[in-house]
Amino acid sequence: MKLQIMKIALLSLMILGATTLGFSQAKKPTLMVVPSDVWCNTNGYMQTYDDQGTKVKIPDYKRAFQENSDLLAVISKINGMMAERGFPLKNMESVIKTLESERAENAILTSKTGSGVSESPMDKLKKVAKADIIIQLTWDVLKTGPKKSVRFTLQGLDAYTDKEIATAGGTGNPSFSAETAVLLEEAVADKIDNFNVGLQRHFDDLFANGREIIIRIKKFDSWKNDLETEYGGKELNVIIEDWVRANTVKNRFSNSDATENMMLFEQVRIPLYDASGNATDARGFTRGLQKLLAAPPYSIANKLTVKGLGQAVIVLGEK
Amino acid sequence: MLLITGFSSVVSAQTNKKANEDTEAWRYELEVAGTGVQGTYLLKVWSYSKKPNVAIEQAKKNAVHGVIFKGFAGDQGILGKPPLTTNSNLEQEKDQWFKEFFADGGKYMKFVSLSSDGAVAAEDRMKVGKQYKIGVLVSVNVALLRKDLEEAGIIKSLSAGF
Repeated sequence: MKLQIMKIALLSLMILGATTLGFSQAKKPTLMVVPSDVWCNTNGYMQTYDDQGTKVKIPDYKRAFQENSDLLAVISKINGMMAERGFPLKNMESVIKTLESERAENAILTSKTGSGVSESPMDKLKKVAKADIIIQLTWDVLKTGPKKSVRFTLQGLDAYTDKEIATAGGTGNPSFSAETAVLLEEAVADKIDNFNVGLQRHFDDLFANGREIIIRIKKFDSWKNDLETEYGGKELNVIIEDWVRANTVKNRFSNSDATENMMLFEQVRIPLYDASGNATDARGFTRGLQKLLAAPPYSIANKLTVKGLGQAVIVLGEK
Repeated sequence: MLLITGFSSVVSAQTNKKANEDTEAWRYELEVAGTGVQGTYLLKVWSYSKKPNVAIEQAKKNAVHGVIFKGFAGDQGILGKPPLTTNSNLEQEKDQWFKEFFADGGKYMKFVSLSSDGAVAAEDRMKVGKQYKIGVLVSVNVALLRKDLEEAGIIKSLSAGF
């Protein structure tokens, strides 16, 4: 009888473990191919505007997608090959279209009583095509006499830490007869596996050492205190730093900037799962700090904003 | 007559065994031969054997072995490729699985084909001591191979854990 009870208990534990494992999947980063500024500039897809007397050039992605069929073919090929590896990418052209239609919908959406949709300037600013990892794409066609070759570069950039996590590039074989489209197809097929090796290395590191994020602490100027204000004999910046140290994986972070008004934590390694086993990200992680600061003895009202999986900002003083 | 037939089949088996030992001892060379169609690698595999036919046949096994464990260097505008596994002890850890995979007529055959129908150019056939060093063009279906290894749990997929 005792043995049977033990067997049932063991089986239940195993089932519970399997269920937990089934649910505990880390938050998957999104990837998107974006033509580089250099490519847009070389091919004439730039917009120029006057920023208080300084001419500023920014890429005109919409026009690039509408006018350049080579770009479409290359992105489609990369997307296809990544989907085959179980990692479908966000399509930038579709993201831009969705943002435009959402903007139009928000402009005309009203309730029965005539209320519009709330949208702060910050909300508007955040409505841009974004992904957790940007695959920056550059190519140019090199010509030597009648021979043509393609120099092709793929760079995987972490949108939050700005680190280049994967790269593949090089100049293909020169050809007398092959068309540029064919050379480009060849370049994608040749480079994508090496790019994915870098990506795999990044993911392996993420699972071993935690997700790398950035945390910024700021203060509203209406708040009378600052980060040097003492609570129980400790400056607020030290209290925040101690919390970050205690909650990061292997205490890994660097406090790269600190003044009485702001703090910047870079290379903060956060666990992929919280204490209850749920997948977490910058928002989930920083909420712990937000709660600590809002509760007594500090009782500091604060506002938490995030950017994707990997960047969080806490502004102290008000909601 | 029976004795001679028996003797020749023993010699042939020994030559095959030696070729398999060479594969396990990494005694082969891979050279990139061009950009294959999407999902394939086009390679020239240099294999060693006393019998040219054995070397040609072993080239297929060597190519798949090399793509999984060794990788190959690039050449003139074509990038080299790292091996499919990043675990340097994989062949020891999954010893039994790979024994069956690389057995004569094993599953590895599904992922490789001879690109020139087995024809070997004169400059790709060399006599090195008592052995032949034979260079054969092969095409490895790396997309299918990777998928198969991922599904068998031998290597990790890119989206594993997410």
